[in-house]
Amino acid sequence: MTMTCDDLDLLLPEFLDGSLTTSQEEQAAVHLATCQQCTIEVNELEGVTKLYKEHGMLELPNEARQRIARALDIES
Amino acid sequence: MQTTKDTTDQPRTVSELFDAFANATYTLGYRILRDSHLAEDVVQETFIKVIRSLPSYRGEGPIAGWIYRIGYREAIAISRRRRDEVTDPESATFATLPARESVEESVMTQDLLARLDAAMAELSEPVRATFTLRDIQGLSTKDVAGVLEISESAVKMRLARAREALRVQLKEYLE
Repeated sequence: MTMTCDDLDLLLPEFLDGSLTTSQEEQAAVHLATCQQCTIEVNELEGVTKLYKEHGMLELPNEARQRIARALDIES
Repeated sequence: MQTTKDTTDQPRTVSELFDAFANATYTLGYRILRDSHLAEDVVQETFIKVIRSLPSYRGEGPIAGWIYRIGYREAIAISRRRRDEVTDPESATFATLPARESVEESVMTQDLLARLDAAMAELSEPVRATFTLRDIQGLSTKDVAGVLEISESAVKMRLARAREALRVQLKEYLE
């Protein structure tokens, strides 16, 4: 069965999480090999998750860390 | 000293849990509330509850999920209180970003981080929380569903919405 752009769109969350079945993965790969628009979209979505994975985490400021640790009566 | 056991059966003190999860709890609080002082409150309130509840924690599931669930509930409670109060939107304090090596790199990174922050601001609170837990903190879809107490399909729907909205907003960084 041939996968269409709409089919892939519905499966995008699983595709990006790497949780497609082997058969779905193969069909997605076949579709992406011939569909430039979907390839661009998938690459950009992967880019979004990569950007936030690398830069989205924040550090509790040291002053706040010390203050909260004191309030909790623990060492940090 | 209070201790518990995680799923790998290693004892964890409150101090160790704080060191391991303070940044993650702060990130979750900030990403939901977009205010660093309120995010600090989320951390403090979360760990007060962790200390109180640790003796009765029975080790159901990963301890990270338990802490994130407490943190998420705290952030939502603070958000509701904030909504009920008259607040000046200009009074929000934004997160301090980690120091970088060079001035040039720092300017570039600060610009990127500010764009990532602004792009997330366009998402609704539930969608921000879902995206933070899944794509920033790296929890599985199943674990995110457990923390937020929603179905896995709802997690997937929110994630799809978040990723697509961010893709459109951040296009210049994705080429």
